[in-house]
This record gives sequence, C-alpha cells and structure tokens, in this order.
Amino acid sequence: MLIAFAVFGSLPFWITEIGLYHYLGVEILIWCIYELGFNLLLGYAGLPSFGHGAYFGIGAYAFGLTQFNLWPNLWVCLAAAILAATLFGAVVACFISHRRGIYFALMTIAFGQMFFFIASKWTSVTKGEDGLLNIARLPVELGFAAYPIQRNAAFYWFVFACFVVVAVLLWRIVNSPFGKVIQAIKQNELRMSFLGYRVELYKGAAFVLSCAFSGFAGALFAMAQGGAFVQVMNLQWSGVIVLMTLIGGGLVSFWGPVLGTILYFVARDLLGAYTATWLLWFGLMFMLVVMFKPEGLAGLWRDLRRRGATRTNAAKAGAQPSALLALLRAR
Amino acid sequence: MLEARGLHMRFGDLVVLEDITLGFPEGRLSGIMGPNGAGKTTCFNVLTGRYKPVRGSITLRGEDITGLAPHAIARKGVSRSFQLMNLFNEFSAEENVLVALPDMRRRGFDMLSRRGSDATVRGRARQALDRVGLADKADMPARDLSYGERRALEIAVALATEPSVLFLDEPTSGLGTDGTERLAELIGRLKGQLTMVMIEHDMAFLFGLADRIAVIHWGQVIAQGTPEELRRNPWVENSNLGKLR
Amino acid sequence: MDSLLFLLPHLLNGLALGLLFALIALGFMLIIGVMEVINLAHGSLFALGAYAALALMTPDGGLPPAMVALFQALPLAWRYAAALVLAPLAVAIVGMGLELCLRRTYGRDPLYGLLLTFGAALVIEELIRLAWGPTERFIPMPQGITGGVMLGELIYSKYRMFAALFAIAMIALLWLFLERTPYGAIIKAGAHDSEMVGALGVNLPRLRLFVFGFGSLLAAIAGIVMVPIWGIRPHVGVDAVVPAFVIIVLGGVGSFWGAVIAGLLVGMVVGLTGAFATDWSLISMYMLLILVVTFRARGLLGKKSILEA
Repeated sequence: MLIAFAVFGSLPFWITEIGLYHYLGVEILIWCIYELGFNLLLGYAGLPSFGHGAYFGIGAYAFGLTQFNLWPNLWVCLAAAILAATLFGAVVACFISHRRGIYFALMTIAFGQMFFFIASKWTSVTKGEDGLLNIARLPVELGFAAYPIQRNAAFYWFVFACFVVVAVLLWRIVNSPFGKVIQAIKQNELRMSFLGYRVELYKGAAFVLSCAFSGFAGALFAMAQGGAFVQVMNLQWSGVIVLMTLIGGGLVSFWGPVLGTILYFVARDLLGAYTATWLLWFGLMFMLVVMFKPEGLAGLWRDLRRRGATRTNAAKAGAQPSALLALLRAR
Repeated sequence: MLEARGLHMRFGDLVVLEDITLGFPEGRLSGIMGPNGAGKTTCFNVLTGRYKPVRGSITLRGEDITGLAPHAIARKGVSRSFQLMNLFNEFSAEENVLVALPDMRRRGFDMLSRRGSDATVRGRARQALDRVGLADKADMPARDLSYGERRALEIAVALATEPSVLFLDEPTSGLGTDGTERLAELIGRLKGQLTMVMIEHDMAFLFGLADRIAVIHWGQVIAQGTPEELRRNPWVENSNLGKLR
Repeated sequence: MDSLLFLLPHLLNGLALGLLFALIALGFMLIIGVMEVINLAHGSLFALGAYAALALMTPDGGLPPAMVALFQALPLAWRYAAALVLAPLAVAIVGMGLELCLRRTYGRDPLYGLLLTFGAALVIEELIRLAWGPTERFIPMPQGITGGVMLGELIYSKYRMFAALFAIAMIALLWLFLERTPYGAIIKAGAHDSEMVGALGVNLPRLRLFVFGFGSLLAAIAGIVMVPIWGIRPHVGVDAVVPAFVIIVLGGVGSFWGAVIAGLLVGMVVGLTGAFATDWSLISMYMLLILVVTFRARGLLGKKSILEA
C-alpha cells in the first residue's frame, strides 16, 4: 500500500501547519513503531503477546544505562537498547516458541510480569518506581556533523526518520518469503510442519524481531520522556498496545496499527479532556470491535472501498467480483 | 522404499495399532483399506511423524525415521494430503501451493527480498495448480473455492513439495463422479513417478489404481495382496467393505 | 526442629490459600469444559466479587444511602453472610452478560475469544478502578473469625481456619451438586462433549449461560473470602487468574480432584514463599506458571486439550 505510505509521508508537514504540539506527533510515531513491530507478531503470525511492554521498557532502560555508564553516543545507545530487548526476547522465545493460543498468551503475561517485578525491585539499577531520570536526547552524530535534537521540533524529525526506516524495513519483511511463511503458520501451523517447516524457529524469529522493534521504540520513548519508567512494563500498558493494534485493523492490514495508534492518542487527548474514564470507553470499543468487526478500522475502510469498486465495476462490465475481492484483500 | 515393521500405537489404554508390518515399494501405488476406526489414519499419522509409535520401526530408503518430527520427515521427501482438508484459507490457491514449494522453504528466513513474486517461483506454483486443473483459479482465496476445487488444491499442495513418497488420505471423499474421474486420471498419470500410499473407501477407485492393497481392521493388518488376490479373499468378499464387480 | 514448627501456621495459610485457589480453578474449569473459551476475565470476576461485598458491607462502598442504611442496621456477622450470598449472585449476572458477548466469537478463530476475554478483564478492572478508586480498601470482618488462636506455642490465624473450612464446605457442596443432582450431571456431560449434549436435547446456549454464571459465582465467593488474605485492589484480578490456569494445567482439565490437589500444591508454594519473602509470593505464581507450562507440555491424560487451540 504505497499510497498509504505517501500519505503518512506528508503527515509531518500537516502536523506542523495545524499547530498541534509536536510532542504529540513524537508520541504517536514512537507508538506506531512499537505497534508495527508488535503487529508482526499479532497480525501476521497470529500470536497474542500480552507482555510486550516488558521489551519496550527494557529498551528504555538499556538506552539510559548505556548513556550513563558506557558511552553517551546516540547510535551506541540505540544499538544497546535493541540488543537488550532482542536478547531478553530470545530467552523468552526459547520457552514459548513451540506454543500458541492460550499457553502462549499466558506465558507472555507471566514473563511480562516477571520483568516488571524485577525492574521494580532492582532499584539499584532501575531506580524503581521513580524511574531512571535524566536521559538526554543525544545529538545525531553523522560523522561529518552533529545535529542536536533537544527541541521537540528537531526531535520530531529524527523520530520521523526512524519511523520511515522501520516502516520500510517491516514492509519488506512482511512481503518477503519469511512474511509469507509466518502468515501461513498463522493459518495452519500443522500443515506447515508437514510441509517441512520448523515452525518453532519461525515463530521464535517473529517474536524476537517484534521485541527488537519494541526495544527500539522504548529507547526513543526514553529520549522523548527524558527518563525510563517502569510503568510501561505493566500488564495494562502491554494490554493497551494489543487494543490499539487490533482496533486499527492489524489483523488484516499492515497500516492497521498506525490507525489504531492515532485513534488512541486522539481519544486520549480529546476524550481525556472531558472524562477520566476514556480508557474504559476504549476498552469497551475494543470489545465491540472484536465482537462485530475484528478486522478493525482497516477492515471498515476496505469494505467501503470494495463496495464502491464493485458497484462501478459491475456497472461497467458485469465483471467477476471475486477476482477484484482477491486483489483488494491482498496485503 | 518405505517400510514399517511391528508398529504399535496406543492412546492411553486404547491400543490403536498392533504389530503393523507393511512395505511400500518404490514407484508403486499401495492402498490401505478397512472399516472406519480401524486405525488407517493413525497409521498415516505414525508414518508421517505426527505420532511416535510405542514400538516398531519405520525406515525410508533404509534410513530409520522412527520418531522423527513431521517437518524432518517431510524434508526427506514425504508428503501427505489430509482427509479433512488442511488448507490455508486466507491465501489464494496460488499462495497455498507457493508455500509448499521446496524453493520457498529453503528461502524461508529470507526477510528482505520481494515476496515470492519472482517469475520462476510463481511459474512453478502455476504449474502445480495446472496439474490438478486449477490454473484458472490461481487468485481465488482458498475458502471461496468449491468443495471439489478445495480437494484438488489439497492434493496440489501435497504434490508441490516434489515428494518421493506421497500419502493420500481418502482423496475422493465428498467428490462426485466427475471429480473422482479426474482424480483417477491424475493419480494414474503420477504412477511410476513416485511412491504413493492411499487410504480409500471407494473400492472401485482403489482397486482400479493400486498395485497392492493392505486391509486393516481393529488396528491389525488382516490381509495383503494385489487387487486380484484380495478379490478372491473370502474375508474381503464377505465383509461389508463393498461388493465388487 | 523449631524452625519447622514455625512453618506450621504458614502451612495453614498455604492450605487455606490452596483451597480457595482450587475453588477459583474449579469455576474456571467448568467454564472451559462447557465452552471452548479460556476466560481471562475470570480473575476480574473474582475481584468484582470482593468489591461487590465491599459495597454491601461498608457504608462508603458505593450503594445508594437508603440501601446502605438498611443494610448497616444488621449486625456485622449477618451482613457478612448476606454479602457472601448476594455479591456472588450479582457477579454471576455480570458473568452471564460476558457469555452473551462471547457468543459472537464462537466458531471463529479462538484468538478472538481470547482477545475478547482479555478486553473484558481490562474493562472490568477499569470499571472497578473508577467505581471504587485505585487504592486498597478494607472490609470489616465479624469478630468470631478475626484474630488469632493459640495452639501449642504458635498463633494460628482464625480467619485462615475459617477460610479453609469454608472452602472445604464449598468444594464439597460443588462436588455433591455435580455428582448427585441431575443438573450437575448435565454440566458434567456438557463439559465432556458439549455438542453431544446439545444433540440430546439440552438447551446448549442456556447451559452455557448458566455455567458461565455459576463459574463466575464461584470465583466471586473465592474473591470475597480471599479479601483479608490478599486485600482488595483493582489489580487483584490478574493475580487470581494465573493460579487458576496453573492448577488446570497441573491437575488436568476435567479432573475435579486433580484441580483440588493441584490447588493445594499451588497454595502451598505461594503460602510458603510468602513466609520467607512476602514480596515474592505473588511473583512465585508466575514463575510456577512458567515452570509448569515448560515441563508439563501436555500433562492432560493424553487427551488433546482445548487449551491447545
């Protein structure tokens, strides 16, 4: 969906024009990165992880710790964050790769809670509930020049660049043979094993990859907030990304999670102004979506386009709607 | 080619297979028949690695494959179709066959190249579809195909792995006369090219194609032989497995 | 030797905890048996039970003043007994409502049912947070069951004894209901093969509704009794569903006594951990989950479990 990509490409200009504060854009993009990575696991591999906040948090802490104790270089710290999240993800993957469904889900919850617990208790390293503070937005050093990104506006462009890279990377991944394989595994794991695939390896890879992206997003978030906090690792926050991803239509569309993220933040800012119960409404909306339209917003969009297309096409030549449907359903 | 010796299989206290010894010669079509619940599909499941037999051994080209995981056995050139169809419903017919191609499997972890949209791979997928007469339905999602087409796709997927041994579990179930004829034709064409093992209830179909048939009842092999030999077998004659002309 | 004796009160605690866990797990199991769904919201219903009792028992629990005045007039013990009956019934209704929502996901990819119950758990927790606030609350307990009692040289918690006995009674009642009543037989049959039961003329949707409500009821009762042991916080729901799951995996889906024994085991582990490091008692449950799932791959009498869907 290169069209969608172009639309989002022009987003930053629009945001600046309207005068919505840049930080919102930053938050949205960071969570988009988090979710696009997460959707690799949920939407494409069909594996529900309710403990992903842990890897987001690990990335944030890793970034901060590397900055304070190792080398306050942007690229090094980001790399450390990704590496840390990937490593922890790999360890967990060893326990859960050969599972699916409820076993998988509960194990992710268990590990998520454990990491949350460790992070809260290991105060010497993580400073516990207070959080790891004073994480700086390190300048972007490109060898020939260093660009400071302290200010929100500048930081936004950096985050946007990251978003572009991540989106392109993930788009390539899901359209690669690997992407095909994990989609097949989602639909019929048994058959895939009979076709000679070592499904645990693929599921594990999908999991670890999504953890890596989560860690990256976490590091960016640490820079954005100026600190790494343990709250993002709790069950509620891990659950919220599931909600966002699904409502947006992650199960059927690459861009679904982005829609879901935008919806979430809009809801938070708009509804949050009126009522403190907006999370409740979001949760209820999630339930309704699962019940009535699990394909989410992206699914709705697709339905609208399909209805428009079939009407014109049918009028034109009484063509086969099935081929068109197949085309529209393609990711 | 493929040999099973003394297979015993048990689920809890229920003995499902008892001392099964079968040989499937290379290039031939071997049939397995028997009443429902006799253990035929369990036999398949054991032979293809889904279950590990309690006792006994399975050898493929002389190599012991007992107890190997399904994916390992599949990689040695064993493929199967399922009685209750096991397709990728969201995928198109072409995509269904695509993931079965050994080429795709070898490139499974390739995360950066374009989706299997390069011409050679897709061409081979279309060829596989053509074999079963589904070339014109390549882009249809599997769940939108008719029952007969899904059956054909099921076999196309199993064939796409370029197996040396193909297990077919009741391939005609639910097919009408037309479909059965086409299937008989397809299998006839495949004879000699690979080793096939087929479970079937349709006696005419089975007897017309198989080189040798084994009869399984109550988890045991009670008779084995060529179709002619079995026709003369009193047990088969008198059983309600179907009267043959 | 002394140190071992010191463990005895903690063993009692573990026992009480284990029996209550078993109760939660049994309700959980009944629901799994008759439906194909793993109810992640089971823990939230547990929590809701506690909060509903809170509403009934304390003047600022959230009920309209007129009702509160009426209720407060009764002596504490009566109020407690009434709460034990009324609150679970209210939760049962919520549970049935949840089942109605779940109907839309039957027959589809089990992932949707899982996501829906997860969403429900989140929603219920939020509702609780909104209605009763995020801080810890307390329910006054009748005199007769609070405090300690001296046996030998050690102090045993009277409440734990009460909780244990109460749980035993509930489990016994449940067993009698399942084994000796016709409706219980239907539930058991339905748990074994729900399609068949439908074919035999039982109104399957109604059965499912009832079982869901009943399972929720059990969870709520456990929730109320658990209050002095675990406290009332909105988040207590999640902490409750994990042991239920561990117990099912250990004891086997469909095995009544398996659930009870496994419940005792889990309770012991949690209780004893609590003796040495209170912070770690909750997390020990999660660790237990990881261990159990890792090493008891199937563990379910050879029968392929619906949990594997």
